[in-house]
Amino acid sequence: MRMRNTLSKVFIFIFAVALITGFSMTAGAATVKVGALNDMTGATSDVGKDYALGIAEAIHYVNDNGGVNGKKIKLYQFDYGYRVPEALTKYKLFKRLKCVAVLGWGTGDTEALSPTVTKEKMPYVSASYSAHLTNPAKTPYNLFAATDYSSNARAAITAWFDKKWPKHKDYGKRKPRFVCSYMFASPYSSAPIKAVKDQAKLLGFEVGPDQDVSLFAIDTKSQILGMKRFKPDLVWHGNTTMSVASTLRDAYSLGLGADHIINNWGIDENLPRLAGKAANGAMGASVCAFYGEDVPLMKTVMEYGKKYNPGVPIEKRTVRTIQAWSNTLALWEALKRADKNGGLGGENILKTGFETLAGFELGLGGAPLTYTATDHRIAGKIPIYEVVDGKIKLLTVVDLKGRWPAKWNKEWLGW
Amino acid sequence: MHKKSILMICLTVFVLAAFMSGCALMGPTKSNFKAPKISLSHVEIPYYTGYYYLSAKVKPTKGKAGNYGAPMMMAFIFDIENPNSYPVELDGFKFSVMFEEFEVNTVGSTETMWIPAEKTNQLRVPAIFDTRQTLLTLLLPGAMKMKERGQSPWAILEAWWTGAPDFAFPVGVSEGAAVFKAGDLVEVTAFEATFP
Repeated sequence: MRMRNTLSKVFIFIFAVALITGFSMTAGAATVKVGALNDMTGATSDVGKDYALGIAEAIHYVNDNGGVNGKKIKLYQFDYGYRVPEALTKYKLFKRLKCVAVLGWGTGDTEALSPTVTKEKMPYVSASYSAHLTNPAKTPYNLFAATDYSSNARAAITAWFDKKWPKHKDYGKRKPRFVCSYMFASPYSSAPIKAVKDQAKLLGFEVGPDQDVSLFAIDTKSQILGMKRFKPDLVWHGNTTMSVASTLRDAYSLGLGADHIINNWGIDENLPRLAGKAANGAMGASVCAFYGEDVPLMKTVMEYGKKYNPGVPIEKRTVRTIQAWSNTLALWEALKRADKNGGLGGENILKTGFETLAGFELGLGGAPLTYTATDHRIAGKIPIYEVVDGKIKLLTVVDLKGRWPAKWNKEWLGW
Repeated sequence: MHKKSILMICLTVFVLAAFMSGCALMGPTKSNFKAPKISLSHVEIPYYTGYYYLSAKVKPTKGKAGNYGAPMMMAFIFDIENPNSYPVELDGFKFSVMFEEFEVNTVGSTETMWIPAEKTNQLRVPAIFDTRQTLLTLLLPGAMKMKERGQSPWAILEAWWTGAPDFAFPVGVSEGAAVFKAGDLVEVTAFEATFP
C-alpha cells in the first residue's frame, strides 16, 4: 500500500516537472535589452542605412553565439531621421524599456545626450567618433570601437605631408596650403576642425579660409571657386559620402588642382562610384576593413547580410556595415565580461566590461580595442587609405602616439 | 484502492507520453519548417495635412522656427500566412518604402507576434513621412536619380504630396525581410510589393 502511494507520488512529480519544463521551453529565456538609434531617412542617411542593417545583423550573430552568457539580446532599433529632439525622446523610451546600453548614431545627438548618459550611467556606444567623447573625465559612458575623428584627421594630413608633399613641384620652396570644406552647422562635420588645423600648423601648413558645404550639397561650384582664390594644395572634407562626392566632382571639373583628404564617413565604396575619376587620389582614414576585405570575420559578416537582408544587393553593402559590427561586438564583449563580474549595471559594464579591454581584437580589420579609466581613444595608430583607379587601398599607417607621445598623452585627449 | 492507483498511473503515463510525443512529433524540424508567406494587402493614409514646407526663415506663431515639412502617415497592411502545422514567431520585420523609383523611408516592426498553425495574421506597419525628411532623402540617397530625371526636388515632392490621397504614383515595398522563429530554427522571408 505504501509502495503504491510512493509510486503514485513519483509519477505525479515527474508529470508536474515535465509540464513545467515543457512550458518553460516555450516561454523563452531571459533577455538583455539594448536600444539602437539609427538614421535611415535624415541628413546622414546616405551612410546611415547600411550601418543600421549591420547593427541588426550583428545582434543576430551575437544571439546565435550565446548572447550575453546565455541571455539573448532584444534589440529596440529606431530611425530618428537625424533629428536631435527625437533622439532624446527615443533615449527616454530606452530607459523606460530598461535597456542596459544604447548603440547610438550622430554627433549632434550623442553630444547632446552625453550629460544625461553620464548622469544615468548608461553605456552609449555611438557611431559618432567625435574626440569630444574620448575623455572619461568628462564623458565616461561614451564609447566607440573606432579611432576618433580628430586622430583620423591628424593622421590623414600627416600621411599627405609625408607621402605626397615631397613629390610636389613646390616642395622645399614654400609652405603647403590647406583648406577645410564642411558644413559649419553640423556638429559631426565640424567636430575635428580645431584638431586638423592644429595638426596643419604643427606640420607647417598655411591654412586658408573654410568653405561651408552642406551635407545635402549637389552643387558646390561656388565653394570650389572660393577655394581657388587661395590655391590650396590640400582640402580636408568633413561631410558624408554624397556631399563629398559632389565636391570632388566640382573640384575636378573646375580644375582646383588640390589633393583631398576625407573624414571616415565621407570615404567608402560609394565614393568612387559617385565621383568617378574625381575620386582618384583621395585619401582618408578608415576605422575598420572595407566590405569584402580579407579579415577574419568578414565571411561571417557577409553570410549574415545575405541571410537577414536577402533583398539588399551585395553591391549596396559598404564599410558602414563593418563599422556597425565593430561597435556591436565591442558592446557584446563588454556585456559578457560585466555579466560575469557583478552584472549589467551601467557602471559595471563600463568598469568591468569596456575598461578591461586591452588590445582586444574584433577580427574586423580595425585597431585592437583598448579603453582605460583615463582614456577612451582605442589606439594611436591610424590606417590611411587612398582611392587608386576606383579601388580603395591601404596607403600607410600613421603612428600618432609613437611620433608625438607627449602631445598624444597630455594635449590631444578630448578634442 | 489498487484499481484506482493503477488507473492513475496509466492516466499519468498517457498524458506524459502524449505531451512529450506532441513536443517531439508536432514540433518544428529543419525539414518541416517552411518560411511563412508575406503579401501586401493594401496601403492606407491615416493622417494627411496636404502639401507645404516651412523653412527656418518663416516665423512661427508659437514655438521655434525650423525646417518643418507637411506630415503624412501611411500604414502598410501585410498578410502573413503560416503554412506550418505549428505556430511560428515573427521576430523582426522591416522594409524600405519606394515612391516611384526613389527609396524614401525604411520602416519596421519590433513587436513580437505569434502566427497560429496554418493561419494568416495581419500586420499593420505605420510609416511617417514629412516633406522635410523626404526632401533630405531626395537630396542624399536619391540625388543622382533626381539629377538624371532633370527635375527639382520640390516638383517631385509636390507631385507626391498632392497625389498621395489618390495613390497617383506607385508606392513600393522593397528589400523587405521578416525573421521567423520556431524553436531554435530561423527562417527569413524576403518580400517586395507595389501598391496600387
